Amino acid sequence: MTAQASTSVSKSRSSSIAAPRLTAEGDAIIHVENLVKVYDPDIRAVDGISFEVRRGEIFGFLGPNGAGKTTTIKVITTLIKKTSGTAIVDGIDVDKNPAGIRKIIGYAAQEVGIDDELTGRENLRLQCALYHLPKEEREERIAELLKAIDLEDAADRRAGTYSGGMRKRLDLAMALIPHPKVLFLDEPTTGLDPQNRAAVWDYIRGLNEQGMTIFLTTQYMEEADRLADRLCIIDHGHIMAEGTPASLKGSIGADVVTLSFKTNGVANPNATAKAALARIHGIREIQEVDGGIAVYAQDAPALVPQLVLALNDAHLDIAELTLTHPTLDDVFMKYTGRKMRTEEVTPQRRTPWGARRRRPM
Amino acid sequence: MTAGEFFGEVKSIAGRWIKKTLRRPPFLFFSLVQPIVWFVLFTAAFASVADIPGFKESTGTGSYLTFFAGAVIIQTVLASAMQSGVGFVTDMESGFLDKLKVAPIHRASILLGKLLSDGARILLQTAVILILAFALGVGIATGLLGLVLLFAIALAFGIAWSGISTFIALATKNSESTLMISLLTTFPLLFLSTAVMPKLLLKSPVSDIAVYNPITYIADGLHGLIITPGLNWSVVGLAFLIIGAVGFITLSATTTMFRRTVSA
Repeated sequence: MTAQASTSVSKSRSSSIAAPRLTAEGDAIIHVENLVKVYDPDIRAVDGISFEVRRGEIFGFLGPNGAGKTTTIKVITTLIKKTSGTAIVDGIDVDKNPAGIRKIIGYAAQEVGIDDELTGRENLRLQCALYHLPKEEREERIAELLKAIDLEDAADRRAGTYSGGMRKRLDLAMALIPHPKVLFLDEPTTGLDPQNRAAVWDYIRGLNEQGMTIFLTTQYMEEADRLADRLCIIDHGHIMAEGTPASLKGSIGADVVTLSFKTNGVANPNATAKAALARIHGIREIQEVDGGIAVYAQDAPALVPQLVLALNDAHLDIAELTLTHPTLDDVFMKYTGRKMRTEEVTPQRRTPWGARRRRPM
Repeated sequence: MTAGEFFGEVKSIAGRWIKKTLRRPPFLFFSLVQPIVWFVLFTAAFASVADIPGFKESTGTGSYLTFFAGAVIIQTVLASAMQSGVGFVTDMESGFLDKLKVAPIHRASILLGKLLSDGARILLQTAVILILAFALGVGIATGLLGLVLLFAIALAFGIAWSGISTFIALATKNSESTLMISLLTTFPLLFLSTAVMPKLLLKSPVSDIAVYNPITYIADGLHGLIITPGLNWSVVGLAFLIIGAVGFITLSATTTMFRRTVSA
C-alpha cells in the first residue's frame, strides 16, 4: 500500500514535487462534497458533509446511532438518492452512472442481507450470478471465500440456522464475491461477541493489506481506533472531526478526568465545579458534558488530589470520577459535548422456530 | 448490459424464489392439502346443486365435481397470487432487496424474476389440481389442446393477479396489510362470480355483479374447457382478453410502484 500525496488534504505525508491542482483527486477513490440528505418530512440525516477516502486505506465513520453513517453509505453505494451535493466513486458520479459504481463496489449492510431459506453456498452462488462472474470461476471463488470466513463445514446448511457471527461472516463474503475495488461495511461487528469481532477485524485488515480500499462505519471506538487509517467523527449529520486516530487523540493533548456529582442541594453542580476548579494550575480546559464535566490536563494523576479537595471545599459530592488517557471516546466528547453510547447491544434475533443459535466454530 | 446477462439475472432470481417456495411447508399445504379440502368439502356439501333443475342444461354437466374443478383452480391461483407480494416485503425487511439493488443488475430482472417464479408456482399448483381432478373422475372435454389452454389461463391469470398483491406489498411495505387487503379484494370476487355457481342459478344482485366481475369470464373459460366438448374460442378468447386487461392494469401499477421503491 502506498500513501501518495494529496494536495487537497492538509496532512499530506509527501512534501516532494507539488502535484498540480488538477489532479487533486488523484489518490482519492471516494470524493464527497457538501452531501445533504433530507428525509420526509424534514429530517436532515446528513447535513452538508465533505470528505475523501484515499485509495488503499481503511477509512472509518465513527458516530452513534442516527448520526447519518448509514445514510451516507447508502448514498455512495447508490441505494438512495441524495438531496444535494456531490458523491464520486473511482471517478464515477453517483448521479450520472450508478450502474458503473455498482460494478466496482461491495457492500455489507448493517442488517445482514442473506436469504435464510438458502444455504450459505446457495447464497454465494446467487451473488456470483448477480455479479456476472464467469461460470467456470464461481465454485472456486465460493470455496475460497468459505474457507476464508471459516464457514466450510456449515456451507450446505440453511443460513437460517447460523449464529449471528456466522451470518455476519457470510454477509461479508457475499460483499467480496465481485472482487470489489471499494468495500463498504456498515457496522461490520455490531452485535458480535468479542471473539468474532476480533476475527472480523483480522480479516478486514488482511483484505486491506491486499490493496482493497475499505470504508467502514462503526459505533465502537475501539474498532475505529484499531482498524481505521483515517476517520471522521460524525454526529447529527455533521462531520465533527477528521484525522488519523493518533492525530485525533493527540488533538486532546492531555489526560481526561471526567466527573459527575450528586445533586445534594447544589443548584448547578457543573457550574459550581467549574468555578471551584478554575484556580488550579495545570488544567488546560474544563468542558461541560453529558451528566458532568470533563477536565483536560497534561498530568492528570498528579492533579486528582487537588481536584477532590477543591470540589470538597465547594460542598460538591462526587458521584463518579474517571481518569483516562485520551481515547476516541474523549475525542468524541470533546467535539460533541456528549458521550458516545458505547454499550454493547446484542439485539435478540427472532427466528420463527425459537432460538436456534449455534456456537460459531 | 447484454441480453444474455439479463436473462441470466432473471433466471437466477426466479430460481431463488422457486427454491424458497419448495422449501416452505405452507407451500405444500396450500398446493396439496387445500385443493383436496376444497374438492372434498365443497363437492360433498354442494353435490345436490347439480340436481337443481337447469344446472345440467346451463353447465353441460350433471356433476358438481366437474363444474367445481374450475373453481378450485381459480381459488388456488387467487390464494397463491395473494401471497406473491409478501416475498417483496420480507426482502425489504431482511435487507435482501438492498443486496439486489446494489448489485450491477438490470433492476427489471428483480420484478420479472419474481413474477416468473410466481407463474412457475402456479403452473405446478394447477398440475396438482388437475391430477387430483383426474383421480376423482373429472375429464377434460377439450382434450390436449384444452389442457394446454387451461394451463395458459391459470398462468396468465396468476401473474395478472400477483400484480395486485405485489402492488399492495410495495405500497404498504407490510405483509399483514398485504395479505389482508389482497384477501378482501380477491375472495369476494370468487363468490360474486360464476366460478362456484352457474349464472342461471345466481340471484340478483349477485348475478348483476357477476357480469362486471372479471373472475366470471375466467371461470366461464375454465368451465368451458373442462366441460364442453369442442373448443369454444369466443369463451376462451374472452377469458384471455379479460386477463390481459386486468394484467395490464395491475402490472403497470406494480411496475410504477416498483420503480419508485428501487429508486428511493
